[in-house]
Amino acid sequence: MAEQPCVDLSMTEEILGSYPHEEPSLIQVLQDVHRAYNYLPCDVLVRVAEVLEVPLAKVFSVSTFYKAFSLEPQGDTIIKVCTGTACHIRGAGQLVEELERKLGIGANETTEDLKFTVKTVNCVGACAMAPVMLVGEKYWGSAKPARMSKYLAEGVNDEN
Amino acid sequence: MRIESKDQFEAYQANAKERESGQPKKVLVCCGTGCLATGAKEVAEAFAHEIAERGLDVEVGLGVKSTGCHGFCERGPLVVFLPEGLLYTKVQAKRVPEIVEKTILGDEIIPGLLYKNPANNERIPAYEEVPFYKNQVRVAMRNIGRIDPTDLVDAVAHDAYAGLAKALHEMTPDEVLDEVETSGQRGRGGAGFFTARKWRSCKSAPGDRRFVLCNGDEGDPGAFKDRSIMEGDPHSVLEGMIIGAYALGAHEGYLYVRDEYPLAVVNLQVAIVEARKAGFLGENILGSGFDFDIQISRGGGAFVCGESSALMRSLAGKTGEPRAKYVHSTDKGLFDLPTVLNNVETWAGIGAIIHRGGAWFASMGTKKSKGTKAFSLVGKVKNTGLIELPMGTTLRHIIYDIGGGVLKDRPFKAVQTGGPSGGCIPEDLLDLPVDYERLTEAGSMMGSGGMIVMDDRTCMVDVARYFIGFLTEESCGKCTPCREGLKQMLGIYDALIEGRGREGDIERIENLAAGMQLGSLCELGKSAPNPVLSTLKYFRAEYEAHIHDQACPAGICRELTAFEIKDDCDGCHVCFKACPTDAIEGVIKEMHVIHHDLCISCGACLDVCPTDSIRTFPKIELAAKEVV
Amino acid sequence: MPTLKINGRKVTVAEDVYLLEACRAAGVEVPTLCNFDGLEPWGGCRLCVVDMSMAKWDDDWFKMVTACNHPVEEGMTVVTDSERVLATRKVVLDLLLARCPETPLIQQLAREHGIEETSYEPNPEQTDCILCGLCTRVCDHIGVSAIASTDRGWGREIAPPFNEPPPDCIGCLACAEICPTDHIKFTTSNVTRTIWGKEFEMLRDPKTGEAVITKAQAEHFAKRSGVPKTYFETSDKSKRLKVAKTFEKLQVVK
Repeated sequence: MAEQPCVDLSMTEEILGSYPHEEPSLIQVLQDVHRAYNYLPCDVLVRVAEVLEVPLAKVFSVSTFYKAFSLEPQGDTIIKVCTGTACHIRGAGQLVEELERKLGIGANETTEDLKFTVKTVNCVGACAMAPVMLVGEKYWGSAKPARMSKYLAEGVNDEN
Repeated sequence: MRIESKDQFEAYQANAKERESGQPKKVLVCCGTGCLATGAKEVAEAFAHEIAERGLDVEVGLGVKSTGCHGFCERGPLVVFLPEGLLYTKVQAKRVPEIVEKTILGDEIIPGLLYKNPANNERIPAYEEVPFYKNQVRVAMRNIGRIDPTDLVDAVAHDAYAGLAKALHEMTPDEVLDEVETSGQRGRGGAGFFTARKWRSCKSAPGDRRFVLCNGDEGDPGAFKDRSIMEGDPHSVLEGMIIGAYALGAHEGYLYVRDEYPLAVVNLQVAIVEARKAGFLGENILGSGFDFDIQISRGGGAFVCGESSALMRSLAGKTGEPRAKYVHSTDKGLFDLPTVLNNVETWAGIGAIIHRGGAWFASMGTKKSKGTKAFSLVGKVKNTGLIELPMGTTLRHIIYDIGGGVLKDRPFKAVQTGGPSGGCIPEDLLDLPVDYERLTEAGSMMGSGGMIVMDDRTCMVDVARYFIGFLTEESCGKCTPCREGLKQMLGIYDALIEGRGREGDIERIENLAAGMQLGSLCELGKSAPNPVLSTLKYFRAEYEAHIHDQACPAGICRELTAFEIKDDCDGCHVCFKACPTDAIEGVIKEMHVIHHDLCISCGACLDVCPTDSIRTFPKIELAAKEVV
Repeated sequence: MPTLKINGRKVTVAEDVYLLEACRAAGVEVPTLCNFDGLEPWGGCRLCVVDMSMAKWDDDWFKMVTACNHPVEEGMTVVTDSERVLATRKVVLDLLLARCPETPLIQQLAREHGIEETSYEPNPEQTDCILCGLCTRVCDHIGVSAIASTDRGWGREIAPPFNEPPPDCIGCLACAEICPTDHIKFTTSNVTRTIWGKEFEMLRDPKTGEAVITKAQAEHFAKRSGVPKTYFETSDKSKRLKVAKTFEKLQVVK
């Protein structure tokens, strides 16, 4: 917590303003926070605990339970490789390996320059086009390791 | 303008239908997640642009609709032309001007864009004639692909809310319950519990406040029917929930949607806003005096949240830990109040059941499994996609007649159904009629309707390991047998696929399986052994080969498999390009060779070799051979 | 008041109890780990599984349930020592022994069920935590919720937020005392107390000078109960002596 940089809490206040201040709002709030900051900064979690009147330990518990959340800054572009059953048998593993070769990082890791984070996701529901990967918001179906450079180039999030 | 009476609804509906028939010529562009991935949005935009440019809107009354998922995802982007019912596949935006010119204006068919039947290479122009669609009976998915999911009027023109109007204006809540009971509908999420029975037990629970919930978590990897319904016909889900709430006397509803389905969340939100404006949600729905509203809640990325008690905890802002079901959620569910939770597909069917009658629904299916079911047919099958069929259809019909058979005509090995709680069904059981009981008897289950076809290039030990690995990540960790048992099982499986299997491994797996089935708190742990036990039952020889012969018969497990290019190699060089570690050496038109010291046994070469000239053999034999 | 049959013995109990209490009333002891009288049952360790058949079911149709949180019902039949119950308990303990091979309580329970050594891969990282959840549950019960479970599945751990000294902890030691395996460590003296990496100032009894309670705990209880904080600063011994003095004044009336 000590090593984290200070963040702009005004975005947090805005998000909190749009939900009832009670525990059931927690996960929705965290998702909006995650989208706004690209991760869950601890200062924000402390504030969320305060406003929603949920013990900080429980906020931390929820933040670490769900796979959608990261407590460390993520890359500008998130790459998600689907590892659902259909994608698995159609070679999702090879995609993850190719990413490791190209970017030097494995699943749930972020490149040093904070450009990319690689994640494996358990089924995005596009099973008929297995194997599927997402680069940012862009879906690539029937993905092939040999075309990884193309996927990385075209799907990159240019807005910083 | 809010609809506030039966007459007003009928007028609204009549208007909608008139608008629909007033535009006979339509272009339907599938914009489900699958087609969007291959450029459907650009195609839809190109059509809209081209038609506007040519001022066609005025001349021939053409409408371009972005619809929901047609289900035939690998052939996308898909475009259907009405009223002809012509289907084009793999349409790219750059060909749109040509299509408008030739097909829309000139009534000419472009053969290259037609669906090609892999069985006989014939091109089929009519959507209804394509085997994939011809054999379907769409109830829950009745409007997907026909309507623009963000257009309420379009939905109503196709009978959306007709069931609701009938329920509110002509039936009592108990009569609605009776109708659902007559239909014999069973939950489409996997458990197959009778819908009416669940509703009745909630209705009889004491208290004033109750909830209806929709489980849109669809965690089974390989299943995407709920995604398609939520994206492609969100009003069908809303309608079902409103009818259910009316029957139960509930005024609050939640739609729990998986975090991994962003388009579904968007389309559902649009639908809710539209429904509120028109008077289908909110206070005094259709002038009936009944109040009900729905909120969307997004999941956080946890398979276990598909389990009903975990889902309710997640809705309450907590971690998704299930609780014992000794007290039913119909008595004490969300916030400890009486709650009905049903699956997306279940809700989507309710509107049709009320509109057309429970007897109609019950006229389809088998004795104990009435109606139709959506299946996602994926994996090593030629026609992958989403289909809906009457219960009782055989696996063979689904995989071969609709699915077109195994990809590349490789030998069929097994079909996995029911997701991580299900099992693998081998070839000699292909004539099994698909229904809840029959699949369970065979050692699998219906689950969400995911059907993953596997060919001979699938190692069943690896498949079991895959599911155990998946569940190990998804276990909430509350109970000992699941948390510790899955970890230990994963360790044994990792050893098996890496050639470190020992005598007694199968017995230890079976012991763990028994402990997990009996001791686990929720169905995740209890059914985790299913893929393990079904692969052991039907494919034990593969396990034995891994343990005793250090071999993977399917040639998949990398530590146990080596690759070799056979003499019939014609030097086409395709494998060379596919190899990620440059382990293949060869010059075009000459015999290629694999360097074993560089080869990582990923199989990419074998998968692309057009002449079937690469073979696998046990890696231990390498020591005996000369290394190249 | 429902009547049940437990291992063949008939017993009548109150309506709102769980099977565990009914078993005890019948003189049958069912092993537990995550259960604690006074806290809501949790059903996580799965050690207390028993075979149960409802009155309306076939005589030989049983369901395996946890005794700690399954409600009693008229006419229920319970078997606490069937073959499959014992086999399941054995798997649970075998797995716990693999997780905590050096923990005396688990070694003892395992031995009592016929397990000397685990059949599975022992945990390479030593831990005494069996993830019974008692610590977090008692902390919630006290109204503090300073610690909670983090992550999920195999990686699940009990920890304070961000793995740093928990801001909400009052140093009451309830978690350490309820922990069946003494996994939670603390140090305490007349001056300070340290637990979960957080240091607490101790309040001492004004008369005897011995440390009674942490300042934070006294404040928490005072706030919650409305009783003045000074009440909590005196030791139990001092309180007893004070009340005892009032008895000296009694006289026997003839």
